[in-house]
Amino acid sequence: MRLSFKNKKITGVLSVLPENEVHFKDGINEYNFTEKQSLKLAKIMGYGTRRIASESTTVSDLCVHGLEYLFENNYLNKDEIDALILVTQSPDYFLPATSNVISGKLNLKEDLICMDINQGCAGYEVGLMQAYMLLEQPAISKVVLLNADVLSKKVSKRDRNSHPLIGDGATITVVEKSDDDENIELFMKSDGKGSESLKIPAGGFKMPSTPDTAIMNEDVSGNYRSLDNLVMKGDDVFNFVMTRVPEMMNQVYNELSINDDNLDYYLFHQPNKFMLEKLADKLGVDRSKMPNNITEIYGNGSGITVPLNICHNLGSTIKNESYDVCLGGFGVGLTWSLLVCKLGKLDFCEIINYKE
Amino acid sequence: MEEFLEKISEILEVESVNLSDNLEDFDEWDSLTSLSLIAMIDSDYNISVTNDDIREFKTIEDVCNFVKIS
Repeated sequence: MRLSFKNKKITGVLSVLPENEVHFKDGINEYNFTEKQSLKLAKIMGYGTRRIASESTTVSDLCVHGLEYLFENNYLNKDEIDALILVTQSPDYFLPATSNVISGKLNLKEDLICMDINQGCAGYEVGLMQAYMLLEQPAISKVVLLNADVLSKKVSKRDRNSHPLIGDGATITVVEKSDDDENIELFMKSDGKGSESLKIPAGGFKMPSTPDTAIMNEDVSGNYRSLDNLVMKGDDVFNFVMTRVPEMMNQVYNELSINDDNLDYYLFHQPNKFMLEKLADKLGVDRSKMPNNITEIYGNGSGITVPLNICHNLGSTIKNESYDVCLGGFGVGLTWSLLVCKLGKLDFCEIINYKE
Repeated sequence: MEEFLEKISEILEVESVNLSDNLEDFDEWDSLTSLSLIAMIDSDYNISVTNDDIREFKTIEDVCNFVKIS
């Protein structure tokens, strides 16, 4: 599906990361593999350091900290926020919505739309879509999009599939009405038949958490996890990304009559370095135009990898420069999306730490 | 065929492989080499292989047959 927007603009991006940094080597003894195997894995996949939230840190803590920072530095006036959208798969509660909790903690105005959206790897594009749709309304001039997850709490330490790559954090993106009429073109697809590919089986209403769902079981590859843990079918996800993203990229090129010469950067979700390298090669895109360093520095924080990518790799120039970019997300759902827009002249683009 | 066997040798970190070799007999054969194999077959032959497919492979020849290399 293709959605088109105009007269809207991202005006700032802030990333908020837990201060606690762990290294791949710290967890190596937990895996049911030799040290040699694990080090080879780290080298090929590109695993290094990750930011991990403490037991008590939640999504609302990270978001409140970041928003207070924006208020204090006059990057954002709290009375100007017309909508607060939070994309997360690790909310503080089933109910109320964590966006409501955040607005309460910050004493935001009542003339405000709060909304939580359950999306992961494509969560930045889904969140931007919602922000753009709200901005079509005369009453709405400024939307704050929060992407935040602390999914490391749901990943087994003995799962060599998912544990070495998971990271935590939050990003805040301000989206506003704008006078420039550059096109924003969003492509999005879903395939619920692939919903088993990435899943936390227990803990919801279908299978409530019990002592039984916490029992650790070994899978065919020697990983241990319980039904309370996140499980990822790495091969399915890999094949999905390598087929569906290139298909959609071709659709984008054809429908917009552009090619990779028209795009400065491909700012894609980063499951790990390996997959991004393979994807760039398959798309015939120079690897330097598709940054892939986020997971090895910060971990894969689900929907935050795209905005964190903007802060880390373009933060030094994007306040003055403007780029033609293709944002991309793909994963849980399954959901995949590509978004072509101009990105630049930001009011702020920074990374801050959350002290625990 | 020779080119494909060379690529498999590279993944398994050995000098050369024979069609009759059992995958299980290679020291390097594990979930990571499986992924390398999935990635290689995708990028070079545009064929999607799953871990379930790979569990059915006993010998190098089985891999060749799957990719229809002869």
